[in-house]
Amino acid sequence: MSDVPANALAPISARRRHTDQVMRAVLLIVTLLALVPLVLVILRLLTSGLKAISWDFFTTDPSGNFLGNPGGIKSAILGTIEMIAVAALITIPIGIGVALYLVEYGKQGRFAATVRYFVDVLTGVPSIVFGLFVYVALVVGNVGGSGFAAWKGALAIALLMLPIVTRSAEVVLLLVPDGLREAALALGAPRWKVVTRVVLPTAAPGLVTGSLLAIARGAGETAPLLFTAAIVQGTSFNLNARMNSLPAQIFADVGQAQDRLVARAWGAALTLVTMILILNIVARLVARRSRST
Amino acid sequence: MEAGALTTRDDLAAARLAGSSRGRLADPAFKWFLTILAVLILAIIVFFFVFLINKASPAISKFGLFGFTFGAEWNVSKSVYGAWPLLVGTLITSAVALVIGVPIALGAALYITELCPARLRAPLTMLLELLAAVPSVVYGLWGVFFLIPKLRPAEQWFADTFSFLPFVGGSVAGPNYFIAGLILAIMILPIVSAISREVISTVPAELKEGALALGATRWEMIRLAVLPYSRAGIAGAIMLGLGRAVGETIAVTLVIGNAPQIGKQIFDQGYTLAAVIANEFGEAANNKLHSAALIAAGLVLFVLTLLINAIARYIVVRGNRMRDIPPPEEELTMPTTGPLIGGPVMQ
Amino acid sequence: MRYRIPAAIGAAALALVVAACGSSSSSTSSTAKSSGTANGAGSTFAAPIYQQWGSNLKGQGVTINYQAVGSGAGIAQLQAGTVDFAGSDPPLAAADKAGLKKGPVTQLPMALGAITVSYNVSGLKTGLKLDGATIANIFLGKITKWNDPAIAALNPGISLPSQTISVVHRSDSSGTTKGFAAFLAAYSPTWKSKVGVDKTLNWPTGTGAKGNDGVAAAIKQTPGAVGYVEQAYALQNNFTYASVKNSSGNYIAPTLNSTTAAAEGITIPSDLGITTINSPNPQAYPIASQTFVDMYTDLCKDGGMSSQNAKALAAFVNYGLGDGQTVLTQLSYAKLPSSVLTPTKTAASKLTCNGQPIS
Repeated sequence: MSDVPANALAPISARRRHTDQVMRAVLLIVTLLALVPLVLVILRLLTSGLKAISWDFFTTDPSGNFLGNPGGIKSAILGTIEMIAVAALITIPIGIGVALYLVEYGKQGRFAATVRYFVDVLTGVPSIVFGLFVYVALVVGNVGGSGFAAWKGALAIALLMLPIVTRSAEVVLLLVPDGLREAALALGAPRWKVVTRVVLPTAAPGLVTGSLLAIARGAGETAPLLFTAAIVQGTSFNLNARMNSLPAQIFADVGQAQDRLVARAWGAALTLVTMILILNIVARLVARRSRST
Repeated sequence: MEAGALTTRDDLAAARLAGSSRGRLADPAFKWFLTILAVLILAIIVFFFVFLINKASPAISKFGLFGFTFGAEWNVSKSVYGAWPLLVGTLITSAVALVIGVPIALGAALYITELCPARLRAPLTMLLELLAAVPSVVYGLWGVFFLIPKLRPAEQWFADTFSFLPFVGGSVAGPNYFIAGLILAIMILPIVSAISREVISTVPAELKEGALALGATRWEMIRLAVLPYSRAGIAGAIMLGLGRAVGETIAVTLVIGNAPQIGKQIFDQGYTLAAVIANEFGEAANNKLHSAALIAAGLVLFVLTLLINAIARYIVVRGNRMRDIPPPEEELTMPTTGPLIGGPVMQ
Repeated sequence: MRYRIPAAIGAAALALVVAACGSSSSSTSSTAKSSGTANGAGSTFAAPIYQQWGSNLKGQGVTINYQAVGSGAGIAQLQAGTVDFAGSDPPLAAADKAGLKKGPVTQLPMALGAITVSYNVSGLKTGLKLDGATIANIFLGKITKWNDPAIAALNPGISLPSQTISVVHRSDSSGTTKGFAAFLAAYSPTWKSKVGVDKTLNWPTGTGAKGNDGVAAAIKQTPGAVGYVEQAYALQNNFTYASVKNSSGNYIAPTLNSTTAAAEGITIPSDLGITTINSPNPQAYPIASQTFVDMYTDLCKDGGMSSQNAKALAAFVNYGLGDGQTVLTQLSYAKLPSSVLTPTKTAASKLTCNGQPIS
């Protein structure tokens, strides 16, 4: 046949077909293998965690008792919510602000490149180093009149979330078409109005998605809290005192030998994973709704 | 648009956007506000590093930079701090994580992008991303109570049967390098597969179709067209997975056994840079040298991550340059998918 | 429509912050009933005690937050000023005192407990006979199997499996470690020279776990394991533990009686820094340990506490030396003998706040 190029591969031999089928099967198996840990973890979370869950579990604090009722995880849940809320309140406006600067004003300039580089570098810092930093800088010196304090824990998590929020916000803001900006400018809008009235609203769903995902990440962090907010049994809303948190409580219970404390760890783990999953799902819904509008 | 035929609505819109003369003052004010914010953040980040380096200096000046990083003994009671056993532990567990995790992540990425039916693509992707939503402490919990007991008989069998191999043998107590590496492999699966997927999906369709047109089977198309093209990007993905494995603390400290020596076998207990910080920070509170040593360990860890990321960037850029591909606008560290947005694994 | 979700999140966060700022007086305000909070950290050996005492005092306006992080970390936190009191098993060493610079320090023994040598070997019951030299060799890694001749020689007639011994020790700075090492050093010159006696040791072999609770967990999860763990933890988890040979040559099981016996007849230094390890009493369990609560004598001036909180800490300490002693037996710790209790109560009464005795 004259129209077959000279370098075409030979007609598929049985051996090649066989290899193809084998490799396809291998790749399928490998993909399923990748999902096996997920299934195992979720199954174990459900079987061991649901056993611990009850109304009392969520409404009583850990009792700290060695014997008898170990109590629930009320202070841990409330502590996580409060500290992550504070961290988000700090990080999200600042992160979006820095991203706005980079996209709208700094662009490719040298200063902007420097800021971008350093924010990236911050991404590579292991989270335990953030905790160590806040510990040495703020806790040991009893800054603010307290040793371990919830606001210091929130600060460590805010530092950790900052590069994530900034970079994802930058990506989202870059996606806003320049045409929109130019149209607004052509209509005579000052720059700041272009940003606040055109760019931000357009990017809002993406910003919300990015923020929710960063919050989901921050909520699961343990190491920064060990050194800063410490662990405490009672429920407290006082930001200038120690505060419990779900990851810290789980970490404390993991190392225990008593079965009921380990059971509490599983229940707390299930609660934490559920909270993070909800944040992820909400983020995804926001993203999908924005895509469809 | 028809020239000169603005409707009343457009006029109103323009008037709203243009605003009053007050707007002319607000513009530079807004710009300076954001600029100052960026300067502040830059200052904070720089302060962060300067502060840590300053606090680590008692240890560095006592042992020397080389002496600390490669010092062979970490002995708290003798006040001797050498990070080598910890560094080795970090490297071993990360190596195990790569050896196990990368083939699986890559295979999954290839399957999802090239082979699986289109309607399965989104659910499979979402499931893989869910792995990243599980916090590190929950992986540690699962590792201690599920993985370690379930795998101990198999590990013991392996150690007994293959004891002629180097680094294999001995008795399996429970926590060890291998289990830590296995958990790390699971934790880096999402990031390596997500970035690999993105890289693989940028392979030009003409390349793939060309291979198929020349009579290649699907697998051969992958082998001949997709993989060589994405080699650099995949290498970058591997480096990023490595960077995360290196910094992981909580899950590792629960399953590695916390032994300050370098274990001789893969099933021995070990220690990592991150785990030592978590275990010893409390007692170092008032000991300048000890806390300096721990911060220095943190900095070694960070420099390692920095190095790995820099190598990743270099490999990717060089690989792209060889194909005349312009550098990507987005940094490789930031996939916009799911919960993977940048940063080290949850601790 | 698009703003609903972020607005809701923002409102919730704002509400929480307002609640936080508004209720920041919860722990330090002076209400009609005195309420104070004291923060402590340290010994996991004694953690069950302090947490139970704290729980018993909750209704009386006294809140005790105790973090079980190990004796070493507890002392370090006290030196750094981030806690009000430290729980420490060993008496304060010179190095510890040197770091407590703000003023004189009060050291109060609170309880006695037994450090058991617990093992998880199927078929082996409680009461395996072991002596200091053999235990040292196990933890040195020289004895690696349960049916080693050295162990068999001490236990004729007991069939020992050929299982490998998996050593479990502490990964954090621990007073329990120091007490255990002190005992081993008395019977094994190799241990004394090679490993030494301290809160943190360079362990030749084994898995490190955090806290007495972590060691207990590791023993429970590892077949063939052996570790040193305080008796309350061993009993809670139904461990099997050894009878250890004491200085008089008797094999003594860790019981409340044998633990109390360890404190009888010991010399009591003026700073109350007693040690009950390797007691000369022939009925004493040789690895019985004391545990202290350490704090600055002037809680307010040197310790930085408010007078409310100082009162709470004093109440805690006095409770512990009073009614709290009966709680000890429920938790499987031994009470202080009166020879120790009396001077301790005197020392506790000398705690001051800004120079004034605490009522």
